[in-house]
Order: sequence, then structure tokens, then C-alpha cells
Amino acid sequence: MVDKLVGKLNALAVLNNNALGETHMLKKALLALAIGSGLLLPGTADAADPVKVGFAVAKTGLFAGAADGQIKIYELWKDQVNARGGLDVKGVKRPVELVYYDDQSDAGKVVQIYEKLITGDKVDLLLAPYGTSSHIAAAGVVERYKFPMVGNTAASVKLREIKPGNIWFTTGQMPDRLAVSLVELFKLKGIKSIALLANQLPFSLESKTYLVPALTKAGIEVKVSEEYPPSIKDMTAMLINVKQANPDAVVAFSFPSDSAIYLKQARELGIDAKFQFVEVGPTEAAFAKQFGEALNGIVTMGHWTPDNKQWTGARALFDSYVQKYNEPPSYLNAPLVYMSCQILEQAVAKVGLDRDAIRKTIATDTFDTVNGPVKFEGIENVGTPAGLLQIQGGNMTLIWPPSIATADFKPKPAWPAK
Amino acid sequence: MSTLFSGQLLFAALVVGSIYVLIALGLNLVFGTMRLLDAAHGDIVMLGAYTSFWLFTLSGMSPLLSMLVAGALSAGFGAAIYYGLFRRLLANTQLSQRLEGNSLLLFFGISIILQNVAALCFDTTPRAYTYLDGIIRFGNVAMTGNRIAVLIIAAVLCAAAFLFLRFHIYGLAIKALIQHRQAAAVVGVNIERIQLLSFAIGFGLAGLAGSLLSMTEQITPFMGFPFTVAGFVTVILGGLGNLTRGMAAGMFLGFVEIYGVALTSPSLHSVLIYGVFIVVLFLQSQGLLGRRPS
Repeated sequence: MVDKLVGKLNALAVLNNNALGETHMLKKALLALAIGSGLLLPGTADAADPVKVGFAVAKTGLFAGAADGQIKIYELWKDQVNARGGLDVKGVKRPVELVYYDDQSDAGKVVQIYEKLITGDKVDLLLAPYGTSSHIAAAGVVERYKFPMVGNTAASVKLREIKPGNIWFTTGQMPDRLAVSLVELFKLKGIKSIALLANQLPFSLESKTYLVPALTKAGIEVKVSEEYPPSIKDMTAMLINVKQANPDAVVAFSFPSDSAIYLKQARELGIDAKFQFVEVGPTEAAFAKQFGEALNGIVTMGHWTPDNKQWTGARALFDSYVQKYNEPPSYLNAPLVYMSCQILEQAVAKVGLDRDAIRKTIATDTFDTVNGPVKFEGIENVGTPAGLLQIQGGNMTLIWPPSIATADFKPKPAWPAK
Repeated sequence: MSTLFSGQLLFAALVVGSIYVLIALGLNLVFGTMRLLDAAHGDIVMLGAYTSFWLFTLSGMSPLLSMLVAGALSAGFGAAIYYGLFRRLLANTQLSQRLEGNSLLLFFGISIILQNVAALCFDTTPRAYTYLDGIIRFGNVAMTGNRIAVLIIAAVLCAAAFLFLRFHIYGLAIKALIQHRQAAAVVGVNIERIQLLSFAIGFGLAGLAGSLLSMTEQITPFMGFPFTVAGFVTVILGGLGNLTRGMAAGMFLGFVEIYGVALTSPSLHSVLIYGVFIVVLFLQSQGLLGRRPS
């Protein structure tokens, strides 16, 4: 504001040479007023000025249920940072202020919101929206403005191949690496055939694209392969085919709402494959309440556990989430989202709010997070392995890869009758 | 092909169809008697589901009991909406002529308010609980108790609604109002009372349907919209305002959804539903089961 006023005054001075002396006096007076009242120029922000952190959030629409955990982590992180005195901006502590809008789970809205955050709200930092399709939408905006954003609840090999420079994924589970992890475990456990079900969302379809050739290469037969829309309400017809095929393993590349349908109807039909992978959902608190014992033996995506003592802050994240929200965090999304906040926080502490410096720092440094060290190559986190979780005795247990596993895979027990 | 003759598939179609029947019946009552397009109908289903969820979670009340509470609360809400928003509009002849189109906007607004109030109060985390989750087998067909309960209760409610509309004086009055508003008034039907009753029964049935769904589905503030869409597809298939044919159309839609997927591919799920909808409207504008004007 002061800059603008000074600029206008300068223009006025050029136009009106006669009034030069008076204008100069006024300029000086305004600058003195600005400095006296704490309104400092960019780059020398006062410690009391909040750092505006913007993001789009799926408050409504298809991802609303799944994205709720994301905003809870953002809020938790903001509270923790502010409780510590604020965000460390290259030595100066400043409070964090979150600026966010509902994207209605619509990629088009995501683009509009990130444009508005950058050009209208003039946020200092960006956090990510929910889901791969929204990340891909936001990637175009952050590239155009060269505004670094650490992604979290998403992964895309297609985006990796484009080699953007301002977006990164905290997950270790890029679809091609997830496929490798699954097939390695299948081979180890003697799985000879699978049934494959895939939601038609980008992450699920990419997961399928990389799994099928990996299975063929390993000599594992795909007995059933079906795709379905995210709006599906009943899977009976598909699951009858799965039951008749009697595969050793079922892989459901599903999102929370269809994961719930799979679990409900697979149990009803008695699909008794000893390895049943359900991609997104089983780590959410609602699943434990809805399915209870029926979740035992289900394998899902995730590479985090609060039980790993080498990961600084892992247990603290779990405890603080439970304390604030009175339910356990998702073992999949909560750490991914928190890691993105930690990476941004560490980069800002080192280089301040300069976007070029933040970009270089994120692209080159190694970060200490609740899921261990994170190091990016391109957009991909190569510091975290593509892990698998299994619900054992009601608990989320890391079973893969052996380097971080806390237990071995156990064949899925029979579905409980009650 | 053997999949098509599976009892499991038949059971799934009956369960899906019975929910559509209940939802469409309520939607059709409100449209038939007052020509109001209730775009918030699915959100009443959502409120019914939350009512049963919270009563089960906080007090352990069985959803088979709390469905009565959900139905009563929804009916009360319907009565409040009628008195607060529509009573005067319906009484004014000039306004009531424009009401069919305006009601869609009004209910759309109510829908957005309900969804956002629910999101504010309960947040958007999916909620769920376990009730009657044991598996019961009839030959080769396995069913969870809660899905059987959904089917039985929906069937009982539909039968009760059918008998009410056919034999009870108020049911006959509702049908009279649907057939000819002015003639019904001339023969002594208390229009205002019947309109209130239709609102209450329509909303109450939606609340009951939500309560039943809470046993089998995850509950979120935005779960209602697909049911609103399915409800509209159903009542248009059956002929707007035609209650018994609307009920048959609900079951038909359930069968299209389940058997259509089995015959083709799950990826054609939405194409099938809307495809049938468009083809039916194209071939017969009064709906699949509607009567052609004589």
C-alpha cells in the first residue's frame, strides 16, 4: 500500500514539476508514518504479520469425506506452529493464518481457487488440495506463477513425466512403485492369480496401468479385471464374478465410498481370498467403526506407523491428533499431509519466503519428517518406500517393505459371521 | 451368463429398488399434490441417516426404533417447511402458477443449506456404525441382516402406503387432489390439510429411508444428492404424480442398475440409468408406466 502511494506520488511529481518540493515532503512524511506504524516494505515483514498459507479444500463433493482428515491436519499444524510462537521465517517467528476455499471436489474450481490465492489473496505459501485430479489441476497454476507447492494426498506418474518444477509428492507410493511392492509381496507369498477391480479415478487407473504388466512379467494370472465409475452403489455383479473365479488375491483400486461397498459385499458373498488389497479407505476411522473385526487381514496402502521410534514426531502426531479430534488419524493421509507441512516449514526456516529459494531448497535438501527422511528426485519422494499396511487384530500394521515393516503379512482370516 | 440367474443378484436388485421406491414415493407425494419439485429430498434422507447414527452412537438406540424418531422429525420438518414457505404461495393463485419452477429453486436452496449445516455440525468425516451385521444364508444366497431389514421394512412401508392411498379417507383425498385439485375442493376435500399431510408423509418417508440406509452405508452430509437424482429419474419413469406406478418404476430402476451392470459392464453403470431414462422419455413422454392422455 505504501509502495503504491509512493509510486503515485512520484508520477504526480513528474507531471507537476512546480509542486516538486511539496510532493517530496509528503513522500517523506508518508514513509516516516509507515515505518512508525510498523507497515514495513516486503522482505522486512514484522514478526506480528501473519504468514498467509492458502489452499483449496474439498469441503463438498466426491472427496469431501476423504478430504476431511486433510484439513484437520492443516489446522493441527497451524495450531502447533502458532503455539511454538509462529512459523520460523529465516529466524523471524510469524503467526500462520490459513486462507482456504471449498473446491467442491471439482478440478476446474481448484484452478480458479489457486489463481485467486496467488493473485487476489496474495498468499505467502501454498498447501495442496485433495486427490490426484485436483493436484494435476493445481500443477498448471503453480507452474505458471512459479509458486512452489508440496503436494500430499496424490501421486501421478503422468505428472512426473511432464517434469514440473513447482510441485512434489510426499507419498512413496507412485503407482509404478506401488505395483512393484504389491508384486514383490505376491511372489513372496505364493500368489498365482488375482482379481482386479479399479475405480475410474486417475490414481486408481494409473495404479492398474502399472500393476497389470508387472503381474504378467511375474507370471501371475489376472482372472478378473473390471473398471467402475466412482458413483457405483452396488458391486454384486462384479463380486459374483470374482467369487466364481476364486483368485488367490483381490486387488481393489478403490476410494473410500467404493472401498466400503467392496468390504460390505465381499463379506456378504464370502470372497475368501487370503490376500485382499483395498487401496484407499481402510485407514480411516469410519471404517473401523463400520466394519470392526471384518477389517482384520485387509491390506491397504500406507507407509507410516506411529510405532517407528526412528521417525521423529510420529507418535506425537498420533497423540496430538487424538487429543484434538478424539479419533485416530488416517495412517495414509494424515502423515502425507503433515509431511508436506513439515517440508514447507523447514524450507521457510532456511530460506524465508522467497519462492525461488524455497523451490531450490525443496528440490535439493533432505527433510526430517514424521515418516523419516524425505528427499525428492523430480517430483517424487525417493526417501520413503512404497509401503503396505495390514489390519491385524484391529491395529494398522506396517507389513511391507521389510526395511520399515513392524510385522509380517498374515493370510486374511475368514470374514466374521457377525 | 450364470451370474444373471444368481439369487444374490436378485436380492441386490430388490434392496436397491426398495430404497428407490421409498424415496420416489415421498417425492411423488409432494409433487403430485402440490406440483412442487423437491430437490432437497435426498437431503432429508441424509438427515434421517444422521438421526439414527447419533441415536445409536450416543444412546445405543436400535435404528429399528430410531427410524420412527427419524420419520417423525422429518415429517415435522416437512410440516414446518410447508407452513413456513409454501402454504401462502400455494394459496395465492397467481403465485401458485409459477410455483412449479420456483419450487425447484427454493428446494435447491434448502438442499444447499441442509448440506452445509450438516457439514458444519457433524463435519464431513464419513460416519458409520454396525447393526444387524450378521450374515444369513438362504441356499446359495448370503445376506447381511441389515439389508434384509431394509428390504422387509421398505416392503411393509410400501404396502402400508398402498393400502392407505387405496382405502383410507385421507389417502383417497390425496389421490383426488392429485387427479384434479379444483374438483377435489368442490367435493369437500380440505386442500390445506391434505397438502400438509402430503408434505409430512413425503418427508417422513425420506427420513425413514435415510434411517434404513444408515445401517448399510457410510453417512456424510452430501450422501443425499444421488438419491435425489435417482428419485427424480424414478418418478419421471413412472409418470410424475402417479404414486403406484412410481413405486413400480423404483423397483424397475433397481433392476436396471443391478442387472444392467451384470449384462454389460460396471463402467456403464451411469450410462445405463440415464440411457434408460432418456430412451423412455423419447419413446413415451408420459413415462414408461405413465398413461397417454386420452
